[in-house]
Amino acid sequence: MFLKVQLPWNVIIAAENLKPGSLMLQRAILIRLLSDFAAKKATKDMGYFLAVTTLDKIGEGKVRQHTGDVLFPVVFNAVTFKIFKGEVLEGVVHKVLKHGVFMRIGPIENAYLSSSKMPGYVYVLGENPYFMNQKMPKIAKDVKARVVVIGTKWMEAEREFQALVGLEGDYLGPISSPDM
Amino acid sequence: MSGEEEENAAELKIGDEFLKAKCLMNCEVSLILEHKYEQLQQSSDDAMNQVSQVFEKSLQYVKRFSRYKNPDAVRQVREILARYQLAEFELCVLGNLCPETVEEAIAMVPSIKTRGRAQDDEAIEKMLNDLSLIKKFE
Repeated sequence: MFLKVQLPWNVIIAAENLKPGSLMLQRAILIRLLSDFAAKKATKDMGYFLAVTTLDKIGEGKVRQHTGDVLFPVVFNAVTFKIFKGEVLEGVVHKVLKHGVFMRIGPIENAYLSSSKMPGYVYVLGENPYFMNQKMPKIAKDVKARVVVIGTKWMEAEREFQALVGLEGDYLGPISSPDM
Repeated sequence: MSGEEEENAAELKIGDEFLKAKCLMNCEVSLILEHKYEQLQQSSDDAMNQVSQVFEKSLQYVKRFSRYKNPDAVRQVREILARYQLAEFELCVLGNLCPETVEEAIAMVPSIKTRGRAQDDEAIEKMLNDLSLIKKFE
């Protein structure tokens, strides 16, 4: 799910970048914020950080004693992405393995759909392997599918989420609508 | 591998802060990110051209998975869904998946039947019809 959130962050400007004139300062703060935002990538609570939409407030700067840097508290709005257990989403298969497939859902690169969660599907070996089902379209690379989130895991070191998804449930599975 | 023990979006158990948060449909995010991307392209200032990998992957995703493209249509979808007593989360899942029948809608968002407001089937059917009309005239 995509979320619109309002966040309070501290932006630190090095002393040498503090030029006179508030316009230059605001610009320096914005650039720093965008840089910090992009570097942060994601947090366990908010999910993946996509884009800053508005900068609402820049508070008074506080000089940091030992470094001479100035800390500015800012409040801004941003779009983030987070998935929840039980949520139904659509994604694209990008890798097919014997025991399941990996899908891309939003910025999540590896949402795993295990073969044990694909009722009725069997693995078909070959140069371009895929999963086949008597009654439903096949699941192969580049196929779009609607899935339910079974579990999520926050990986602190990589700063990303892993997800476990499944097809058990009505109206889940490959979707064959034309690419719009 | 699981999140918090009680988290379950099907029952709208997603944490208070997310129940109150503003959720965005894929088509709304598509408009926001495309606009942002254009702004960045036009800016000759390299320092402002910060497009992360997360941004690029997400832009690709929402462009592919938006059911509505036209900004007016996107706004109409939000207006129509807002008339029914839905949580933001429920509203966005419906706007993203565009279920065609009442049965499908309930399967995608079980909480619309279970959370006490018990939307009756007629109301859900009317909502789905209104949504499909927007699609027809987009």
